Amino acid sequence: MGRANRYGGMMDESNHWYGHSRILGRYCEMPDETPKRIQGFLQHGWNYLHGFPPNDHWCSPGYPRFVWSDVLRRRGWSMGRRGHYLIGAPWIYLLHLEPELGVTTKREGTIWYPFHGWEKSSVRGDHDRLAAEIRDVETESVTVCLYWLEFANPDIRQAYESRGFRVICHGERGSRWESKGRDFLRKQLIQLRRHRRVASNRLGSALFYGASVGCEVAVYGDPMQYEDERPEYGGTARRIRLWPELHGVRVDPGLAAEVAGRELGFEYQATPEELRRMFGWKRVRYA
Amino acid sequence: MLLWSDMADMSGGVTDWRGAALELIRRMVPASGKVLLVGPHPQTVVDEVIAQAGLTGEESAAPAGLAEDETVLTPLAGRVAVLVRSYPDACALAERHSALDVFCGRLEAFAADEPYDLVLALDGLLRTHSAEAPAASWAESLDALSALVAPGGRLVLGVHNDLGVDRLLEARPADRDGGDDQWAPHGFDPSYPSGPGALDAALESAGLSVQRCYAAYPSRHAPRALLAREALAFDLPDALAFPLSARDGDRMLVADPLRLTRLVFRHRLGEELAPAWLAVTVRPPLLTKERDDADAEERAYTALPLGLVQEGGTLYELTHTGLRQLPDGGERPIPAGRVLEEILVEACAREDTATVRELLTALADWVEDGGDPAAAADSLVYDGVRFAPIGDLQGPPAPPDPRIVLCRILLRFAVRLQAAGHHHPWPWPLDADELTLTLCGMAGRSCDPGDLDRARKLDAELGQPAEPAGHAPTYRDLLGARDRLADQLAAALARIARLETKLSYRERELVRARGKLRRTQRKATAYRRTLGYRLSRRLARPRRVARKVIRLLSG
Repeated sequence: MGRANRYGGMMDESNHWYGHSRILGRYCEMPDETPKRIQGFLQHGWNYLHGFPPNDHWCSPGYPRFVWSDVLRRRGWSMGRRGHYLIGAPWIYLLHLEPELGVTTKREGTIWYPFHGWEKSSVRGDHDRLAAEIRDVETESVTVCLYWLEFANPDIRQAYESRGFRVICHGERGSRWESKGRDFLRKQLIQLRRHRRVASNRLGSALFYGASVGCEVAVYGDPMQYEDERPEYGGTARRIRLWPELHGVRVDPGLAAEVAGRELGFEYQATPEELRRMFGWKRVRYA
Repeated sequence: MLLWSDMADMSGGVTDWRGAALELIRRMVPASGKVLLVGPHPQTVVDEVIAQAGLTGEESAAPAGLAEDETVLTPLAGRVAVLVRSYPDACALAERHSALDVFCGRLEAFAADEPYDLVLALDGLLRTHSAEAPAASWAESLDALSALVAPGGRLVLGVHNDLGVDRLLEARPADRDGGDDQWAPHGFDPSYPSGPGALDAALESAGLSVQRCYAAYPSRHAPRALLAREALAFDLPDALAFPLSARDGDRMLVADPLRLTRLVFRHRLGEELAPAWLAVTVRPPLLTKERDDADAEERAYTALPLGLVQEGGTLYELTHTGLRQLPDGGERPIPAGRVLEEILVEACAREDTATVRELLTALADWVEDGGDPAAAADSLVYDGVRFAPIGDLQGPPAPPDPRIVLCRILLRFAVRLQAAGHHHPWPWPLDADELTLTLCGMAGRSCDPGDLDRARKLDAELGQPAEPAGHAPTYRDLLGARDRLADQLAAALARIARLETKLSYRERELVRARGKLRRTQRKATAYRRTLGYRLSRRLARPRRVARKVIRLLSG
């Protein structure tokens, strides 16, 4: 990533994180191994804002923002963003392509996703205390899935391993040119289909992914903080206000699946031909 | 008026009454008795009245043997009269129809020998006065007109609505630009009816009783439909209301007539905001009249249609249960549901791509199941389950490939969507062709540019251009287009800035990569010059030669 131009690199990058562009490329039956550039901005993770980070000025106007659900579009519109295009989450395309991947007859244990920081912003919080709380709540075996940055930190890993949890990592989120993150979501899908329950200290993509493949859901524990978290967007209090029914140690699974279906935008799944045209993957004649 | 013609400019002048009004007249011309036309009427109306009077006259009074001969219209003599103010128009009428009684002059100055059984003043009363005398007020003219109606006789009067929806749409009202016919400018006469209620009251006070009052749509220049007040009191089905909202001519308008007229019907103001009214009135018969006559009147009243609508070349009568094709066609119910184009436009405005996908997929299925190949999004209604075409569509002789039919429907929709400036979720550089192909993709049917060309050909065959060429844009369109262009320019500049940034970033990357490559190449060259490298090559050579020989021998 270019240092002199911090966002120059990021503009395209996030479209290719977690293997999203590769999944969509496969869905669109694109032959290339290296994903093509997407003419627009893919929402790369769930959030309670407009689907993009607060400082989204790298999403320049004139390019569509491919968002997951209508509420994000409405919120984005009210915050001055335009050009939303609803296609649902890349996850739903993965489920479409891999209806059987990782399906087991017996699901057991809990997969726990502690809230993670990212390459440019780390998270403040006490993993030791969180691990203790998980031990108190969970009755079955626990798999803790860390983001690669935290996974690389032996202290954090130790905090969970010392309580007998299995600690795994889905890998780096990758980029367009590297193949590192290409199987991120596939690995996640396999793990989620293997577990009976998914939990986290913050409502996030992983929980909705889990709920969409039949996992029970739980949100508890210290939600932790970004070092530069912006309080004006409402923070944890807002998430609890908007989705009170999804917070807690036990959550109604039917309800969670319903909310997940809405938030991941299953009803907005686009056809391959439409995506090829919207992404600029077909030769476009400009007027 | 010696040097004057009301027929000179048909578009701005005389109302171009067509099928619907002609049908109404056809039903009103009495079997016997006298007919008077007051004011300028289009040629077709005069012809129709004469034909009707001639036909009915033949049945009753034509001498045997002469019925086949059209040039002999003796029974007609004295039956049909015309009163116009223009001398040239009067001469032209007299020349064209020898059996016609033609009077020329002002309405107030006209003294008839005996009253008429049917008086037609479809053009209204504004063109019945002359520049020679101060213009009579509308009420005075009405009194003069009603005096010409015999007891039990009928008067059909056209009245332009000063607050008609077409007036609301005009950017430049035609009667306010100081034309030659505006020596007494219109709009200042307090007796001019200010609404359906005022019109009824004026007619009553002139001694006439209203039998039916029709609202004429879509414009007062060329009405294609007459809808009775009773019909407008109900919610008109979209399949009926949508075609009544057309724009006419190339005049500058303030807003899209379609949207405004649809609102008028939705708010049930169809009667109040009609471009023009056509009142069918009767002068009450004298008390000495036979009871039978009164019954006949009663029957005649019920024979007045609820509405007459012209669609293309076909005329329909609106009944309580549906539309009956005239003259003798069968009756069919008006399909329920909303116009597909409006559902799509609404979904686009909300950026609801899921609904668009769902609708287009359903549409594609319908087309493949043998849907009407001439249908389009603006001529189909959808009730959530099935599609139904509005009116009778004229399909091409050979049924085309369903894919082409779908492609044509979507192309037409794309063109209309962009031309109307509706908001939609697709990014702006998409032109109509690209948008069409994207829409086909959304319907789950992949089409290519070749299909587009064939769709365009089909559209030309069907002869209903999506956007008539040479349309003057409406004022709101212009404002909307300007705002849209400003947005697009801002987006384009942002896009250029982004691409510039990206270009410099990529160039820097390229320079770095080339530098790296050059350094590596230099290093490789230097390495090749080292003693160690050269020695190892020398040592390796005999082995390589031996390998080559073995490979040659082994074949």
